[in-house]
Amino acid sequence: MAFTSFLAGRIFKALLVILAIAALNFLLIRLAPGDPASVMAGESGATDPKFVETLRTRFGLDQPLWKQLLLYLGQIVQGDLGFSYRNQVPVIQLILERLPATLLLMASSFVVSLGLGVGLGMLSASVRFFNRKRWLDSLIMTLALICYATPLFWLALMMVIVFSVQLDWLPAFGMESVGANLKGWARISDIAQHLVLPTLALSLFFMSVYVRLTRAAMMEVMMQDHVRTGFAKGLTGGEVLRRHVFRNALLPIVTFAGLQLGQVAGGAVLIETVFAWPGIGRLMFDALLQRDYQLLLGVFLITSATVIAFNLLTDIAYRFVDPRIRMEGGAR
Amino acid sequence: MTGFWKRFSRNSGAVLGLALLVLVLVVALLAPLIYPVSPWQMIGAPLLDPLEDMAFPLGTDMLGRDIAAGLVHGTRVSLLVGTVSTLCAVLVGVGVGGVAGYFGGWIDDVLMRITEFFQTIPQLAMAVVLVAIFTPSLASIVTAIALVSWPPVARLVRAEVLSLREREFVEAATVLGRPTYLILFDEILPNTLPPVIVTATLMIATAILTEAALSFLGLGDRNFMSWGFMIGAARSMLREAPWLSVMPGVAILLTVLAINLVGEGLSDALNPRLRQRGE
Amino acid sequence: MIHGLLGKRFTRLALAGLASVTLTAVAPAQTPVKGGTLNGIVQPEPPTLMLGMNQQAPTIYVAGKIYQSLLTYTPDLKPQPELAKSWVMSPDGLTYTFELEPNVKWHDGKPFTAEDVAFTVDKFLRKTHPRANVVLNRYVASVTALSPTKVEFKLKEPFGPFLSLFEVSTLPMVPKHLYDGTDYATNPANQTPIGTGPFKFKEWKRGSHIHLVKNAEYWKPGKPYIDELYFRVIPDSASRALAFEKGDVQVLRGGDVDNVDVRRLRAIKGVTTTTAGWEMYSPLAFMMMNNRKAPFDNVKVRQAVMNAIDKNFIATTVFFGLAKPAAGPFASTTLFNDTNLKPYPYNVEKAKALIKESGVDLSKSPVKILSFPYGAQWERLAEYVKQGLEQIGFTVSIEPADAGSWAKRVSDWDFDLSFNFTYQYGDPALGVARHYLSTNIVKGSPFANNQGYANPKADELLIKAASSVDQNERAKLYAEFQKIAFEEVANGYLAELQFATLYRSNVKNLVKTGIGLNETLDDAWIEK
Repeated sequence: MAFTSFLAGRIFKALLVILAIAALNFLLIRLAPGDPASVMAGESGATDPKFVETLRTRFGLDQPLWKQLLLYLGQIVQGDLGFSYRNQVPVIQLILERLPATLLLMASSFVVSLGLGVGLGMLSASVRFFNRKRWLDSLIMTLALICYATPLFWLALMMVIVFSVQLDWLPAFGMESVGANLKGWARISDIAQHLVLPTLALSLFFMSVYVRLTRAAMMEVMMQDHVRTGFAKGLTGGEVLRRHVFRNALLPIVTFAGLQLGQVAGGAVLIETVFAWPGIGRLMFDALLQRDYQLLLGVFLITSATVIAFNLLTDIAYRFVDPRIRMEGGAR
Repeated sequence: MTGFWKRFSRNSGAVLGLALLVLVLVVALLAPLIYPVSPWQMIGAPLLDPLEDMAFPLGTDMLGRDIAAGLVHGTRVSLLVGTVSTLCAVLVGVGVGGVAGYFGGWIDDVLMRITEFFQTIPQLAMAVVLVAIFTPSLASIVTAIALVSWPPVARLVRAEVLSLREREFVEAATVLGRPTYLILFDEILPNTLPPVIVTATLMIATAILTEAALSFLGLGDRNFMSWGFMIGAARSMLREAPWLSVMPGVAILLTVLAINLVGEGLSDALNPRLRQRGE
Repeated sequence: MIHGLLGKRFTRLALAGLASVTLTAVAPAQTPVKGGTLNGIVQPEPPTLMLGMNQQAPTIYVAGKIYQSLLTYTPDLKPQPELAKSWVMSPDGLTYTFELEPNVKWHDGKPFTAEDVAFTVDKFLRKTHPRANVVLNRYVASVTALSPTKVEFKLKEPFGPFLSLFEVSTLPMVPKHLYDGTDYATNPANQTPIGTGPFKFKEWKRGSHIHLVKNAEYWKPGKPYIDELYFRVIPDSASRALAFEKGDVQVLRGGDVDNVDVRRLRAIKGVTTTTAGWEMYSPLAFMMMNNRKAPFDNVKVRQAVMNAIDKNFIATTVFFGLAKPAAGPFASTTLFNDTNLKPYPYNVEKAKALIKESGVDLSKSPVKILSFPYGAQWERLAEYVKQGLEQIGFTVSIEPADAGSWAKRVSDWDFDLSFNFTYQYGDPALGVARHYLSTNIVKGSPFANNQGYANPKADELLIKAASSVDQNERAKLYAEFQKIAFEEVANGYLAELQFATLYRSNVKNLVKTGIGLNETLDDAWIEK
């Protein structure tokens, strides 16, 4: 019961935030110099000034701003993301075409960074705690530090040079071999190969954060009395880890996992540019440069909504990880 | 203070980081003395390899500009963008977080909604849009980075203030009838400083990376030589002259690494408890 | 807007080009082989493939395989038959009659007739084509279908370059049966373009690729030879170069990769390079100095600028040798170019002297360079020009701009100095005059007379030359105009851009005409 009303409240608030985001972005984007009509005139070598005016009228840009905003919000409430005048198709269609690619990249980098990060972090913390192979701890922490300090796009470029150009192990760009007409498993393995470099490039930074979070959280918990008691009671290291440490270390990790999603969306712009990944980050950047207002707003709306939904999920996850957390508290 | 230094120097990585950071700072300060000629000046043959001509030990770029001069002058921009944007973000964050935490109630609720709102929009994407809108310049880049990076500070400060508010010394001040704003400024905020300093250090590092990313996407300030710009400009030369992008990349990596190491050292030194929070 | 204001520029990027390697010399007679797949790059991804609605460079490249016009052009810009078999001009230069190919079908099976031509030119393009409509509305009185294969154009007054108008992106034929009586902009047919060309639209996976397939019902028997065309979307220039290097794509169009990569890629074994196929467009790069404001309202200052900038450095270093210093407003590959004109020499002392003579205090008018957002070379150019101007006493800063801001600000005359490059479209009346006619000082387009140059003498020469059909007279008038434009620095002429087409040598008959890769490619074939 409490859970349902909590959920309803959160969803209602989330919807309000989404509307506010839509309105703010709408006004913000309008501050940019130039509009879709002038970009299109520029690109097509238009020499007729009336042409630009015609376009503006067709796009509805000649209306007063407040009217356009109300129109737009009205659309949003009805679940309509609008029409991309530049591409001559509904915004939702463009986004849905591109979204799977980004979701795939996000999911794989999420799994890789979380898996590697938590694994290495645990390893690092335990070797340190049990005072065995401390060099391993130093190695992992140094690796994490370097990954944390490397510019994402630069790493991507260097990986392309090494693994695609020099070694020729992996494809350098795209999501699948165009024109190969692969089916079934062949296609899946083709996509998987294309996925390796972008995933790695996007994962390493987040991996380093997970390594540090996991290690720090575990160290903290291992210092606590009940864990020490556990050892005193004669439990083995593995049992202590499982029973006490990991469970408590999960909290900060879940928190960051919630935040990662939003960060990945930003990083996707860079990664998708370097690897020609046909995803939503690139769509956003192009829409920005082309002043394709409705498309840009649509992309923002979808990513924000995803982030909010994910935050909500994190909050629920908290509840299961640690029922003591007050649900109104939200993610810290 | 000696205790602080003792705890700091126990972390050998932090000492190494500090040494590196001091070096970077010295280079930044002395840039005009080391390379008095503008780094934009085309003074050599284009695309000299490193060590090919000892007048240009790190080689020249496609227009014949000295890479070493670019790196040295770029230090200033990266550090400037990093520190100024972080300073702005910290000011906003401390303000919002302090007020929200101290007053609580609906003020807290409203401010936290706003903070959440800013956190919902992907940071880099937002920075890209902001810089594009206000046309790229040092000012717009700093503003954009500050605008997208204050929320974590606000949350951190709010949490600290929430816990400090209940402490005896604050309650004592309240009982003595000191004005609210004085309590906030004199008693509470100084006590939130240690974690904020640690966070800020890391934010400087992130800001440097963000500036580089913006420049890479073609949204840098075109009147200042920065590392991000150098990588961006060298991107098309990646195959022909990889050192053009490798060197500024390494410069960013080392600087960011140094700052992170110092951040960790600070975290150890200022508050051992903090370390476990995982920033 | 009196004039033939055609002209066109690229949507993006760097230019490529090379000391002229001619293609015709390389192709020995071989029997074409059928079959195969050709991969190219479409960069940037166009908004639509409906060529009648959008004429960006990538749109033309892809849609040029789907749509056709009545004529095409040889490398020396002579009209050649395409959908029109033959044509005649009346002695007064006011009527042109075209005889069309009889057995042409649209991709949906409907016959292509003179009715389609009349509809396309007289109704559709007059409304939708932002370049051609100006000429059509100014010069073309009517277009009438005399029979299913005969169409007549009546002009309001003689127009010298009329026959240069039938390039595929200027007057692409569109199907009347799909568009007549509809709202052209929202017609669903725009999503699945229907033309008469050798390749049909199959699929467009946005962000990934465009797929065209062979049109089995093509009106030229036995053609095309190639089965499938893929145009791939790769947003990063270095990745595009890599795609070509690894063989994923076989053709690079000028501008697909940065010049520096052209230099490397053309050295690969089994790669052929040509700069042919750009004669129709002959892109010319220039500097626009806003003549309305100090200090560029002073002609001596503009001349000083030209003396302070080394055009050879720009050609060899900024454009990696894939450009040629330009002297005046006409590219050397086009008709009527005056070969006596030589670029301003690089002479810093002379530049300083000119500034002194002008009496302008440069410290009072700092200059902002509005960067031209079409690739790395243009950024390097801005940086170079900044250095060049600073050495003679200017205070210069660079204002970054993306495509949206650039187009907007240049259209609104809100700049001090910026760059541009435009297509010449085979005739000065179509591609050049638009930048200099004082009647074309209008807001709303970045390809008008944005610098605000006004000289009644120049106007008179340009108008006279456009309406003359006597080539010798035109040559004389244009020579005089070029001299004035050069001396008054009507624009700061920098370089003729040479775009290089790179392709794997087993691709044959790729570049054959003056419009190069924008051609239908119905002749191209792939050696096994």
